[in-house]
Amino acid sequence: MAPPAQSQRSASPSQPSGKGEVSDLKSQLRQLAGSRAPGVDDSKRELFKKVISYMTIGVDVSSVFGEMVMCSATSDIVLKKMCYLYVGNYAKVNPDLALLTINFLQRDCKDEDPIIRGLALRSLCSLRVTNLVEYLVGPLGSGLKDNNSYVRMVAVIGVLKLYHISASTCIDADFPLTLKHLMLNDPDTQVVANCLSALQEIWSSEASMSEEASREREALLSKPIVYHLLNRIKEFSEWAQCLLLELVAKYVPSDSNDIFDIMNLLEDRLQHANGAVVLATVKVFLHLTLSMTDVHQQVYERIKAPLLTLVSSGSPEQSYAVLSHLHLLVMRAPFIFASDYKHFYCQYNEPSYVKKLKLEMLTAVANESNTYEIVTELCEYAANVDITIARESIRAVGKIALQQYDVNAIVDRLLQFLEMEKDYVTAEALVLVKDLLRKYPQWSHDCIAVVGSISTQNVQEPKAKAALIWMLGEYSQDMHDAPYILESLIENWDEEHSAEVSTYLFWGYGFIMKISSYKSKIGQFDILNQQYWLIYTVFGQVRLQLLTAVMKCFFKRPPETQNALGAALAAGLADFHQVGFHNVGLQDVHDRALFYYRLLQYNVSVAENVVNPPKQAVSVFADTQSSEIKDRIFDEFNSLSVVYQKPSYMFTDKEHRGPFEFSDELGNVSIGAESADNVVPANRVEANDKDLLLSTSEKEESRGPTHNGSAYSAPLYDSSSASISAANSLSELAISNPTSAGNASSSSLAIDDLLGLGLPATPAAAPAPASAPLPPPLKLNPKAVLDPGTFQQKWRQLGISFSQEFSMSPQGVAALTTPQALLKHMQGHSIHCIASGGQSPNFKFFFFAQKAEESSNYLVECVINTSSAKAQIKIKADDQSTSQAFSDIFQSALSKFTVS
Amino acid sequence: MLQCIFLLSDSGEVMLEKQLTGHRVDRSICAWFWDHVISQGDSFKSMPVIASPTHYLFQIVREGITFLACTQVEMPPLMAIEFLCRVADVLSGYLGGLNEDLVKDNFVIVYELLDEMIDNGFPLTTEPNILREMIAPPNIVSKMLSVVTGNSSNMSDTLPGATASCVPWRTTDVKYANNEVYVDLVEEMDAIINRDGVLVKCEIYGEVQVNSLLSGLPDLTLSFANPSILDDVRFHPCVRFRPWESHQILSFVPPDGQFKLMSYRVKKLKSTPIYVKPQLTSNDGTCRISVMVGIRNDPGKTIDSITLQFQLPPCVLSADLTANHGAVDILSNKMCSWSIGRIPKDKAPSLTGTMVLETGLERLHVFPTFQLGFRIMGVALSGLQIDKLDLKNVPSRLYKGFRALTRAGEYEVRS
Repeated sequence: MAPPAQSQRSASPSQPSGKGEVSDLKSQLRQLAGSRAPGVDDSKRELFKKVISYMTIGVDVSSVFGEMVMCSATSDIVLKKMCYLYVGNYAKVNPDLALLTINFLQRDCKDEDPIIRGLALRSLCSLRVTNLVEYLVGPLGSGLKDNNSYVRMVAVIGVLKLYHISASTCIDADFPLTLKHLMLNDPDTQVVANCLSALQEIWSSEASMSEEASREREALLSKPIVYHLLNRIKEFSEWAQCLLLELVAKYVPSDSNDIFDIMNLLEDRLQHANGAVVLATVKVFLHLTLSMTDVHQQVYERIKAPLLTLVSSGSPEQSYAVLSHLHLLVMRAPFIFASDYKHFYCQYNEPSYVKKLKLEMLTAVANESNTYEIVTELCEYAANVDITIARESIRAVGKIALQQYDVNAIVDRLLQFLEMEKDYVTAEALVLVKDLLRKYPQWSHDCIAVVGSISTQNVQEPKAKAALIWMLGEYSQDMHDAPYILESLIENWDEEHSAEVSTYLFWGYGFIMKISSYKSKIGQFDILNQQYWLIYTVFGQVRLQLLTAVMKCFFKRPPETQNALGAALAAGLADFHQVGFHNVGLQDVHDRALFYYRLLQYNVSVAENVVNPPKQAVSVFADTQSSEIKDRIFDEFNSLSVVYQKPSYMFTDKEHRGPFEFSDELGNVSIGAESADNVVPANRVEANDKDLLLSTSEKEESRGPTHNGSAYSAPLYDSSSASISAANSLSELAISNPTSAGNASSSSLAIDDLLGLGLPATPAAAPAPASAPLPPPLKLNPKAVLDPGTFQQKWRQLGISFSQEFSMSPQGVAALTTPQALLKHMQGHSIHCIASGGQSPNFKFFFFAQKAEESSNYLVECVINTSSAKAQIKIKADDQSTSQAFSDIFQSALSKFTVS
Repeated sequence: MLQCIFLLSDSGEVMLEKQLTGHRVDRSICAWFWDHVISQGDSFKSMPVIASPTHYLFQIVREGITFLACTQVEMPPLMAIEFLCRVADVLSGYLGGLNEDLVKDNFVIVYELLDEMIDNGFPLTTEPNILREMIAPPNIVSKMLSVVTGNSSNMSDTLPGATASCVPWRTTDVKYANNEVYVDLVEEMDAIINRDGVLVKCEIYGEVQVNSLLSGLPDLTLSFANPSILDDVRFHPCVRFRPWESHQILSFVPPDGQFKLMSYRVKKLKSTPIYVKPQLTSNDGTCRISVMVGIRNDPGKTIDSITLQFQLPPCVLSADLTANHGAVDILSNKMCSWSIGRIPKDKAPSLTGTMVLETGLERLHVFPTFQLGFRIMGVALSGLQIDKLDLKNVPSRLYKGFRALTRAGEYEVRS
């Protein structure tokens, strides 16, 4: 029996492994290598097939490299292809052997059959061995001039491959310029498309090093080139069309005629059979018209039908990808899709992730005219076999109820849910009824009648239980049994929660296992923390709610509740001593019990005012995702961001960011900071803003004498390797900025922050200095200096002392075509810019200014949206008492900004 | 910018690996992926786009084979998914089907195809006609093709002429002894009938499929009698846009062989051909079920292959179902399937029976959804009618054929 193969990769047990067989192959190949007998190609084919099949299943067959090369002298094209495949696979791990192949590949590059020339050139460029690049330049050069388009097409991609192996060789050979010439002149569209894709990639990564490359990169987006390519779009292959459309989406049109020309030209692309083309066109349309509100509306109307068709045709995978994009659009402009709500009805067979998207869309498009149908439909899902979907659909009904003015019908439905006698339906419905009552207290009468009849035994989920208890407390005067139900709940204070805790511990473990399998390097400490946090919040919530409810009830019906209150307070106080489960003391419960106890001792009527103040109905519930994030996702239409519902900086590393993206875009200046899952999105944006500063400070450094190649590949924080890369980048920073200790320490702060261990992102906003005396007029130092490191440190340390959103004058908006224009203007008012970024319509600036006499700084974050003509500023100041005065100066300076 | 493509068998084994860029993707990603799929229960439930710790993965599953693509950069997800679908289509066209053995036996062809379809992570050509000229299909298929098509030209290893021609989807020298062209309207009806028996949604998704076996470079014009009923249309790249814009005429130079000329959607249909009336009454832990099926609006042609499927709710312990027509099967996963075939003239098919619920459960809370299947030959239920097909640049002797077919798509009746 042969010993096991030296397989490099995991090998399945069924593979025909064995050194013996490989050496067998070796000798057979050797025999055939010299043979010229007829039919030898057939036997070679068989042997090659065996070699490739071993390779495919993971057996290391690199030992026959020499023999394979010897056998490659053949005119049989299939044999050649197999040989190229083999060589391409092993060259990188066997650079010495790769040299053997150069000879025959170079010879094949001169073959008279274009297909062989092309294949050989492709394989030659795919070897990816650094010390062989010198052999590439010649064949590539002649490949680019080849009279067959197939060879040229391969050569163009070859240039890109060469660039990735050795950028300098590629640039020195002047290949980019050749490609540019080909792009504009080649008759074959696939060659043109490949040139475009290669040039975008090359010039984007060169742009940071050379002025010329960045000019060339800009030139790709210039009107002549974009129009030249657009005019040929119909000849392009469907994939090349996608590429071109991506480019056009970045093009900034000069005027509205320009916009309409492009849209007219591309209109029929919306009817293309390839969904990728349709979606790329949709992106172009949406982006071109962002600044023209009414046309933008019309675009939505126009793209609606093609998108809906795409969803209903094609495979489930395709329709999911389209649906994710549709979801984004529906969320942005629900009213446009209001009449198409039936398209978002869930089908029985759809996977639950599709149903989930559809439920969200149904919720969004609900309006006065279709609410009845939508709610009827949603109610049918409550009896769905899939419990998650049943729950989601009940939540959706609740959300619609909270959106609408006419909730009459919906309340009835919700109450029907309560009577369905299905535990999860009851649970969800209870939570919803609670929210509904907070918004529409006028419905309390109808709801309470039904809620009162629910047995607490049937409600086990903590959230639902908490909701029920809240209602018992809030409406205890209307609910006959309220004090007694509460009392019985208090009697069961301990036992009922122990079951709950174990369930949640179990859930918690599941959750943690999931997290740790994704992010293996999160510290044990973190995991434990998460676990405690989880139990703590879920577990404490019912008891806290119970304490408060008993208090409320007590004030309304004292004689009946007195006993229960005493028992509840005692139980709550005891929670501290009991030290819970796994050393989890329910500190909050204990503290609240103590607080109520002392409050009652102090003054009962004060206590009543605290616990039972007159309440206003809630008008709006907090949105889960900030509009800024939604806008960013929209900017990244037709990308993975949409599928994940997160902007790309939240999940991609800088290093792996698409090569097509130009680095001066807002989303790109900032560095992706994928931090642990428990960081709320708002913090992520915050972290991201800090990175904006960090990266600019590095950019300035790299222009300085200590030019450091790594400065541009700004540190990437991948949570899976966060600790390592953070440590590396920290030391890197420390080395590259030996002069500024502040900078290094601030970046270490940033790292702490990203790991989710460190300080809170920003201290709570300081109270406005309302009682401050009128400050003397504020003068600013026109020659203020502040280095980026200090800026960043201060930005982190200081609280926001002033924040406002205001409208900009139309002239100001018109003048803001590039960030630079505003920078000069503000400098004239002694307000200096430290970092800026963005592209129409969203610009973001960080400014600073100093008081004339003392070194007291003002830091400003200013976000300007030119399409809505809104500016949002956040000011942080060393001396907070003067921030209002500074804000006036800032706003007046901004208001004077016009077309110069 | 895809970095790697893997083909996995239905047991998760890597059948094929194609690295596309310098960033080599390790095979271990497949193991991660497979664990992920298993943790999701079944592949149908896992999303087509997944974020793994190191890569973003796109997956589609066809005939038990998983096509997995990896990338680390931001890219249009639909492009990746569309591309994988094309790969699957092309492979199944080449190999005459898709399954583990076929892929394993022809892996060299698969490698060759992938080589031409994608380079450096960017899709190149996915047109089957062009690929067929560059890479000879495996022997049996090519033999069969030459018998079927009467195309005796051997698959040469020379470059396809079409790559340079202005009609990239058509091979150049096509010659047929018998010139034929077939146009099929294939429609799928999606409908939802809610608990109250109301038709809440009824829509038709249709395709115009053409099988063109014509010599030379023919130019075809197809017109409909009632194009205004079409709600939205999508075309094969061969269709000229202007004539459609102005006169709703499809003018095109067809690719060779079978292709999808156009797809369309017709919404807000008012009637369905078949009714399904389920009734469930619960009492003391058992539930009586009775389902009637019959013809509502006679389409004028025979409705056949009628089937009714539904999943018994998980709380049902056992079910005893009988039908007065056709066969009833209850599969191990509690999927109940009733195959009716054609509806007899003398009686309305009905299914009756009792279901025993879990102990402690009085009534049924989760109701089954019935999925109806049927097929009607000779009718396009949307009402779309082909007016005429004109041909230019073709031999005088040729055969034109038209057919229509409607079948049930997602046709569900809730109870």
